[in-house]
Amino acid sequence: MPSRVWNYFRHHGRPFLGLALVFALGVVFSPRDYAGNLIFLSVGNLTDVLLQQSEIGIIALAMTLVIIGAGIDLSVGSVLACSASMAALLLVRWTPGLAVGPQMAVAAGAALLTGATIGAVNGLVITRLGLQAFVMTLATMIGVRGLTRWLTGNTNIDFGFGEMASARFSALFSHKPSVIIVWVLLAIVAHLVLTRTIFGRYLRAIGENEQAAIYTGLPVRTIRFVAYTACGGLAALAGLIHAARSHQGNPNDGVAYELDAIAAVVIGGTALAGGQGTIVGTVTGTLILGLLTNMLRLRMIDSNLELMIKAVIIIVAVWLQRRDRASNSSL
Amino acid sequence: MRSESAVLSCTNLAKSYGGVHALVNVNWELRAGEVHALCGENGAGKSTLARICCGITAPDAGELRYLDRRVKWSGADKARRAGIGIILQELDLFAGLTVAENIALGNARLEPQNWIARSALDQAVRRVLQDVCLDVAPSTLLGRLSVSQWQLVAIARALALEARVIFMDEPTSALTDDGVERLFELIARLKARGVAVAYVSHKMTEIFRISDRISVLRDGAMIGTEARERTSIEKVIQQMVGRPLAAVRAGAVRRGGGEPVLVVEDLTSRWLRNISFRLGAGEILGVAGLVGSGRSELGRALFGMSRRVGGTITVGGCPYQAREVGEAIQRGLVLVPEDRRHGLVAGMSVRENTTLACLRSLARAGWIARDREAAAATGVLALCRTKRANDELPVAALSGGNQQKVLLGKWLLTRPRIAIFDDPTRGIDIGAKDDFYRLMVELAGGGLGVIWISSELPELLANAHRVLVLHEGRCAGLLDAVQATQEQIMRLATGHPN
Repeated sequence: MPSRVWNYFRHHGRPFLGLALVFALGVVFSPRDYAGNLIFLSVGNLTDVLLQQSEIGIIALAMTLVIIGAGIDLSVGSVLACSASMAALLLVRWTPGLAVGPQMAVAAGAALLTGATIGAVNGLVITRLGLQAFVMTLATMIGVRGLTRWLTGNTNIDFGFGEMASARFSALFSHKPSVIIVWVLLAIVAHLVLTRTIFGRYLRAIGENEQAAIYTGLPVRTIRFVAYTACGGLAALAGLIHAARSHQGNPNDGVAYELDAIAAVVIGGTALAGGQGTIVGTVTGTLILGLLTNMLRLRMIDSNLELMIKAVIIIVAVWLQRRDRASNSSL
Repeated sequence: MRSESAVLSCTNLAKSYGGVHALVNVNWELRAGEVHALCGENGAGKSTLARICCGITAPDAGELRYLDRRVKWSGADKARRAGIGIILQELDLFAGLTVAENIALGNARLEPQNWIARSALDQAVRRVLQDVCLDVAPSTLLGRLSVSQWQLVAIARALALEARVIFMDEPTSALTDDGVERLFELIARLKARGVAVAYVSHKMTEIFRISDRISVLRDGAMIGTEARERTSIEKVIQQMVGRPLAAVRAGAVRRGGGEPVLVVEDLTSRWLRNISFRLGAGEILGVAGLVGSGRSELGRALFGMSRRVGGTITVGGCPYQAREVGEAIQRGLVLVPEDRRHGLVAGMSVRENTTLACLRSLARAGWIARDREAAAATGVLALCRTKRANDELPVAALSGGNQQKVLLGKWLLTRPRIAIFDDPTRGIDIGAKDDFYRLMVELAGGGLGVIWISSELPELLANAHRVLVLHEGRCAGLLDAVQATQEQIMRLATGHPN
C-alpha cells in the first residue's frame, strides 16, 4: 500500500509540490491577527478559500473529463450565469403559491436541467455534426450569454431576506460546510468514474487515440456526449452556488470562468491534447489558484499583480509536465 | 577504418533513450557512389543511425565527419542544406501544401523561388517529378494524392536537394512493384552521378538486388560491413538475429476448411466489385493484391467500417449487415489494422490496451473488476507469448512485434470466430514474424477462421490454405496455396493472367 501511494506521487506528484510551495509561501507572508496568530492558517480563512474556489472547482471536475476526452467546453461561464439567473427568476419573480421548499426544488431543478440541456446540445452538435468542440462551445458561450441577458432584461435579480424562498435558497446553497462537502463528494465520484469505470477507461482511450477507439468499436459519440452533458450540469450547479453566495442572479457574472477552470485543469497535469489527466491533479490545481489569490489578498496586493503571477504559474506548471512527457516515447 | 572516398563517416557514435542504448560505439562510413544497405531487426538502431547522420537526432557521444570536416548538426535543416537528404518511414510531408511547395520546403536552392519565380520553381519541380515518374501537376495539393504517390514526392524532394547523400528508410513499404522497379532505376542513376545512398530496409531480396555493401546492426552495435558478393541472405539474417533461424515454415500443418463461418457473395462497395468467397472454420485465407487493389478495403468492409453498396454476407449461417464495428465484434469478427496506431492507445498500459475491447465482460454495472481484468490480460498475453517486463508499462515501450501480440490478445479476449489481419508482420523483425506465423497457424488449428491480408507473398504461400487475389477491387483469382506460385499470383494481381 505505501508503495502504491509513493508510485502515484512519483507519477503525478508535480502539482502537489506546487501546492506545498504555495502553501508555504502563504504561511511565510501571512499577516498576524491581534493575538499574534497567522491569519492564513486559521480554519476560517482556509475554509473560506475552499468556499471561494468551490464554483471553479466543481466546473473544473467536469472540464477535466471533457479535456481528457480531447474536447474543451468554453460555455461553462455562460451556463453558470444562465443557471444563476434562471434560479433567481424562479425564486424571486415567480409566485406559484407553492411552499418555500418545493419552490426551491423547482428553481434548482430547472436551473440544473437547463445547464445539462445546454451541455447535451454541445455534445450532440460536436459528435453528430462533427463541429470542433472549440467552435461549438464558443458559439454556445456567446448564445447562452445572450439568452440569459434577454431572459432577465439585462438586470440583476436580487434575492430577498427573511423567510422568502430566495433567502432560504441563498442560505442553503452558500452554507460553507455543505458546499465544501458537495465539492469533495463530487471530486471523489469523478475520480472513481475516471479510474474505476468503463466510462473512464473509454474516455481516456478516445481522448488519446480516437482512431484506435473507432477500430476497437468503442461508443465514441455516446461517451463524448455524456462528458459534455455532465459539464453543462455541473456548471449549472456551480451557478446555483454562485447565485446563493452573491445573493442575486446576475446575467453578467461568470465571465472568463471557463478560462479559470481550464487553468486549474492544466496546472493539475491534464494534457489539453487529451488522454492524460487526473481529478486529484485538477483539485490540486484549483487549490493552488485559490491559495495564491488568498495569500495576495491578505497582503492587500494589487489584483493585477495576482493575474501576472497566475500566468507565470500556469506556464511553469505546464512546462514541468511537458519535460516529464518528453521522455516518454510513443508508438 | 576511414577510406579515401568516404563522404560521411561516424566514429564511436552513441545514443541512449532513458537508459535504453539505441546505439553503442558505432563506426560506419558511406562512400560516394555506393548503395549501402543498413540491416537489423526493429530496435537495432538503423533508424537512429540514419537520424543522427541527418541531424534529426543529436548523438550523446562520438564524431560525425561529412566531406572530411567534423560536423555537429544543430537540426535537420542544416544537414539538408549541406546536401544530406532523408526519406523517412513516416512521411514528413504536408497534406495542406502543394506538391511544389512540399518539394521546395527547406530546399536552399528552390525555397526562394517559391516567392520570386513561381514558374522557375514549377519547372524545377516538374524535372524531379519526371525523374521519379510521377505524373501530377506541381500545383496539386498533396492531400489529394495516394500513399504511394506521397512516397514518390518524398523521393522527389530528396532529389531536388541535389544531395550528395540520401538516406532512405523503408522507401518501398508503400510502393507497388512497378514503383519499386522505378525506384531502383532511379537509385542506379543516382549512383552513377556519385550520390551515396544509404538504404534501410527489412526486405532482403531488395537489399541484395541493389546494394554494394551491407552493414548489419544488432542491439545498437555495428556487427559488420561486407561487400554484397562476400555475404548472403542467410548470413545477414544470422548476423541480425544473432542465431541461426529455422527456415521459412515449409508448409504448416494445413487442415482447415471446416464448416463455413463466413460466406461473402457479390460484396460491392466504393472500392470493391462483386467479391465472393467462403471461409471455413480453421481456414487461413490469404488475400494478395497490390497497394490500392482493395485488399485493405475488403477487411474494413467486413469489419463494418465502410459502406457496403451491394451483396450479402453471412456469418455462422445468419445474415450480417456489417454496418458498424460494434456489430462486427458482437458477431465474432475482429480486425487487426494495417497501422498499429489504429489499434493501440500509446499512453495506456499493456493491461488497459489488452482489455479495452472486452471491458464489458469484466465489469459489473460499469465498474471494472480489477482482479479479473488483470487476470484476463495476463492470461491471454501469455497465450500470445508476449514478452514484456510487466503489464503496467505503457504499451509504447514494447517492440513492434510484441505490440502486435497485445493487439491480437485484445481481440482474442472477445472470443472471435473470424479474425482479419491486415499486413500483420509489416515492419516487425524476423524473429517476431516467425513467432507470429506459428501463432496464426495455432489459432486456425483451434477453429478460428483467418483472413490474412499480406504484401509478402512467401508468407502467404507458406501459411495460408487458399489465396484470394484482388486486382482493382475485383477478385482476380482464388488459388490453392499449396499449388500456387508467386509468379502466378503476381500475374493475377497485376491484371495479366496469361
